[in-house]
Formats: sequence, structure tokens, C-alpha cells
Amino acid sequence: MPVSPNGLEVLVRRYRGRRRALIQVLQDIHDRYRWLPPEALERVAEALGVPLVQVYGVATFYKSFSLTPRGRHVCTVCLGTACHVRGGAAVLEEFERRLGIAAGRTTSDGRHTLERVNCLGACALAPLVVVDGHYHGQMTPVKVGAVLAAAAKDEAA
Amino acid sequence: MSGAARVGLTIDGRPVEAAAGASVLKAAEAAGIAIPHFCYHPGLEIEGNCRMCLVEIEGYPKLELSCSTVVREGMIVRTSTDRVRAARKDVLEFLLAEHPLDCPICDKAGECLLQDHYGLHGRYAGRMAEVRERREKKIPIGRGLILDRERCVLCTRCVRFLRQVTRTGELGVFERAVGSELGLAEGRPVDNDYSGNLVDICPVGAITSEDFRFRTRAWFLDRRPSVCPRCARGCAVVVESVTGYPLAAGERRVYRVTAGVNPAVNGHWICDLGREGRREIDEGRLGAVLRKGVREPGLAWPGAVAGIAAAVRSVPAAERPGGVAVVLNARLTSEELALARELFVAGLGLRNVFFAGLKPGRADGLLLTAERMPNGRGVLEAGLSPRPPALEALAAARVLIVFGPYLTEHFEAGALGRALAAVPAKFLVSAHAGPLDRLFDAVLPVTVPAEKAGTYTNIDGLRQGFSRAVEPAPGVVPEGAVLARLARSLGLDIGDADAR
Ligand code: SF4
Ligand code: FES
Ligand code: FES
Repeated sequence: MPVSPNGLEVLVRRYRGRRRALIQVLQDIHDRYRWLPPEALERVAEALGVPLVQVYGVATFYKSFSLTPRGRHVCTVCLGTACHVRGGAAVLEEFERRLGIAAGRTTSDGRHTLERVNCLGACALAPLVVVDGHYHGQMTPVKVGAVLAAAAKDEAA
Repeated sequence: MSGAARVGLTIDGRPVEAAAGASVLKAAEAAGIAIPHFCYHPGLEIEGNCRMCLVEIEGYPKLELSCSTVVREGMIVRTSTDRVRAARKDVLEFLLAEHPLDCPICDKAGECLLQDHYGLHGRYAGRMAEVRERREKKIPIGRGLILDRERCVLCTRCVRFLRQVTRTGELGVFERAVGSELGLAEGRPVDNDYSGNLVDICPVGAITSEDFRFRTRAWFLDRRPSVCPRCARGCAVVVESVTGYPLAAGERRVYRVTAGVNPAVNGHWICDLGREGRREIDEGRLGAVLRKGVREPGLAWPGAVAGIAAAVRSVPAAERPGGVAVVLNARLTSEELALARELFVAGLGLRNVFFAGLKPGRADGLLLTAERMPNGRGVLEAGLSPRPPALEALAAARVLIVFGPYLTEHFEAGALGRALAAVPAKFLVSAHAGPLDRLFDAVLPVTVPAEKAGTYTNIDGLRQGFSRAVEPAPGVVPEGAVLARLARSLGLDIGDADAR
């Protein structure tokens, strides 16, 4: 979705002057654009009255915020302690091989973004992968193909 | 402070009193018990991120942060038990695990909290087998400041200073965990008139100043307090100089001017203009008496004063009030101003006593005042009136005595030159060489404020005494000495003729 000053204004307006709402407003923007465009960060700093570097600080601190445009499908592979010991690394490798990108990157056709995180808080399901908000527990490299295919089907539907 | 509630507690077995609401760290410091810390700074809000200030408090299961724990009646605090010492050692080990240990080429060496704390509380053998994280070591962040990300301990003192004091917010911490680092928003460097304080408050060598980097070592510096003369606020400053051995030509004497602490005036900060004041202590100074702008070998200041006295005497007493004109300035100390009043107004009865000075600038709402002379209030207190010089009155004088190079601030060079050409005998008393020098019969070299002792009254009417922070060059004396000697040569018995 292209970023427009008006679109941003709508998202930022209700938080004007509320410094404590920084994370909320960033989440709203992220939900809408799937990333945090630089002009949005500037606008947030201005509207909330916080230094721009503070907005960057928060935006870079949380893994759930992206400062680069993300693909239509976001694949998040957990490499937290539990997922790591149960083979998360092999699952990540398989995603990297199939998508042809390293973790943290987006495919050049803009379809997939691959991310790694440290613990999603559902360690019982380890190793865990989240694709477009759907949780896939007890993942193995073999299941990666099916998971990606399911996501593609969602898109077609 | 009377009336404020006090709280009694015990620190290391000693009964201690503290203001209600004070932190344990502050209470301990007030009692002379130092608690090691990095992120705590008395001029900034508490953040409690470095964990260096841990202490044991009876009744608390874990060690507590002394910087953010508020004193309570009857609290029992221990600051150097085995447990506390072990914790400090561990905190230091974590901080140093990613530290480059480049003290031999670090400007902060000798005044670095990390070094100090390691010496007192660390002293473990390094156990770090892994390769240390490499980070950028020479990032210009604006205003002549250099950031070294390897040395940074992420205490956020700098970040908080820029948010809470200057409210410019240029620096922030980005990323997280081992990736955390200090940074700027792209294209927005540090750009405020209080930037130099970042060097003072960074507890390690992560923010250094281009003006000071690699020029000397902190332990060679003699640090003496003074009052900043660059505006009417009168901030406390520390003049840091090397003394004691002859300097090679061009070598610095004063290496830097840093912020002194004065809760009544400037707290912990000074502006960059004050810091740059180090230049005017060393640069462009007059070192000897000049005659028509050239050095006069063999003529020292007492001889030059005798020349002024002779010129004054050559004017018959009855004609002196209009025939002798004087230009003073508000950089003179209150003591010197009192002397000048006795001599010129009460003693010689002069009508034409003027004040010249730097043009006012812009007040910045923090410390810097519009007025750029330090002792304007002192002039009034001395019973003098700060009349600006009138060119006709100067030109009509038979003898003119000018203190300071400030006439150029009031008049355009051509007009000033013509007016001065009409004066038969004229003398300049100045710390710095300048374009006026060749227009005067003689120029006497005098001290800058850092080289003298005296009193300034600041913009709020606060009288502040200060003593000599740097030794003047031989043959360079305070204006007070010139005034006293002149009075004596004229047979006036005034004030304290002792040239301090
Ligand atoms: S640069 Fe210095 S003051 Fe700033 S966070 Fe790092 S160590 Fe602290
Ligand atoms: S480690 Fe993967 S969900 Fe906790
Ligand atoms: S001084 Fe208390 S945590 Fe840093």
C-alpha cells in the first residue's frame, strides 16, 4: 500500500501529543503498511512530540517492526532456546533454500519476507513457525513446502 | 532546606541523615561514602540501567540499585559487603567483555569511570576467549564531537542530556542486546550550543572532542575553578592547563575549559561559548609593552604606567576633569572597578568615564545571556554609570586611557582612527593584541579573567569571588595592579595598592 500524507494523518491523529502512545501508533502504521516508512517515523515524532531518534530506537528495538518494506507473506521462524534445541535452525535453512533469500530479507518479487525471532512464547510447540499469522508447531524441514503452498493458496483464493 | 523532612538511616554502620525522597546513592555520597556508578548523573533524571550501584539493604532479598532506591526511615544499607563487591565485579566484567581496552590511545584515560571502577572494584583476570564485537570508532556526530561505539557503555547520559536539558534529542539508542548502539537520525547531527557537555558527562571515552583529542593526557592538567567571563551568567568553570615547565612555541597552555558545578547558577553545565573561552586565554595575547604597535624592549609595565602618570600630570589639575578621558569595561572585577572609581572619579574628578564592551548577543533561554560582559551589575554596584563612549569626548581629550579592545565594537574603524589621531597622549591597557594597538602611544599587557582573582556580580545579582586559575606570563599583570600603581604615581593614596 503506498504511503500518503493523508493516510498517515488518519493513523497518527488520535495519538497527537501522547508520548506514551509511541508503540501503539507504530503498531497501527505497521498493520496498515506492513512496514514503517521513514516519512511515517518523522510524522510520528512530530505529532507525539518525541525526538526522532527515540522513535527509531523503539522501531529498531522490537523485532515486530520492520524498517524495510515486507513481502505479502511474512514467514517468521523461531530460534529461541526451545526451538533452537529442537531443530529450528534446520527449518530456517529450508526456508532460506526454498525462497532463495537469507533471514531478514524479502524476495525480489515482493512475495515473501523471511524473519527469525527469539522465542514467540509458545515453546511447547517448538520448533515453531508463523506464516501470515498462522502458527505451525512441531515444524520440520519436510513440512516447509506444504506450509508455503498453503500460503500461496490463501493468496489465490 | 529548613522545614524539609529528614530521614535517618544507617549506611555501613554509620548513622546518616538525608532529605526525604533522596536516593540511597545521594545519601551515601553526602555522608562521604562513594558508590560506584555510570548512568547516574546528578544533573539528569535517574535511569538505572548500568547496575553498577548495587547495594545491600536489610530486608530486601536481592541487591538494590542505590541510584533509584529512595531512603526510608531506619533503612540499613551496606555498600561494601562481599556480596556487593562480587556483584560489582560481575557488572564490570560484563561491561568490559565488549570493551576495546584501548586506554593507551583513549583521551578519557585518567578520568574514566570504567578505569577508576576497575582499579577499585574489578581486578579480575580477563576470561573473554571470544572475539570482541567490532564497531565504528570514529564517527563525527557534529560540533566537533567524535563517537566511539566500542567504548560506549550505553549509560544514556548523553541521550538524557539531549532530551532533558537542551531538548534537542539528537542521540538515541538503536537496536537491542549486543546489537544496541548509540546513533543519530540520518542527516541530523548534534547541533546545539551546549554540545561540549556531552564530553564532560560521558563516563568513558565514547564521546571525545576534536579540540582536545590526542593533545595531552588528563593527568598532566592542573584544574582550577574560575567564573566564566563570556556572558553575564557567571557559570562555574574549570580551567585546565599545564603549568610548571616552559612551553614550546605554539604549544597550548590551557587545554580546555570544562563545566564547574554551581547549583545556584549553572548546575553542571556550561555553554559552548564558555568552553571556547579556552582560546582567549591563550591566543592572541599581548606579552610585552608596545609602543605605537611595536614591542618596546626594556620597557616593562611599571615604566609604561609612569608614562601614563606623566601624561596625566602634564594636564593642569583644573583642566583634568574634561581633559583626561577613561574608557573602562565590565570585565574588570568589582575590586578593580572600585579602584577605578576612587582613582578616576573621586581622585581625579574626571567627567568622561565611559564603558565599552562586546555587543549584546542573543539570550538562549538556558544559561547564555544577551549581555556578553560578565560584570555589568558590578559596575552599578561600584557606583559607576555604564555610559557608552562618545566619540567627540574621546577626540577632545588631551589624555586618553582605554581598558580593553572594545572601542572597535562601538565605532567604525575610520572614524575611530580619526578621533584617536586628535588625542595627544593615549594609552591602551589590554589582554589581547588588536587593530587598536598601533593607534596608541603605548599598550600595556594585562591578564584575562582566568589569570586573576576578584569578584563578579552576575545577572541575578549574585556576587561570586574567584581566584587565579592560570598563572599569567611574566610581565603581565591584572588591571588592578595598573590602576593601583597609577594611583600611587599620581600621589593618590587609595584602596589596597597591593597588586594581587
Ligand atoms: S556515549 Fe558515553 S554517555 Fe553516551 S551512552 Fe555511551 S558511554 Fe554513555
Ligand atoms: S523458543 Fe520458540 S517459541 Fe519459545
Ligand atoms: S547508577 Fe544505578 S543503575 Fe546506573
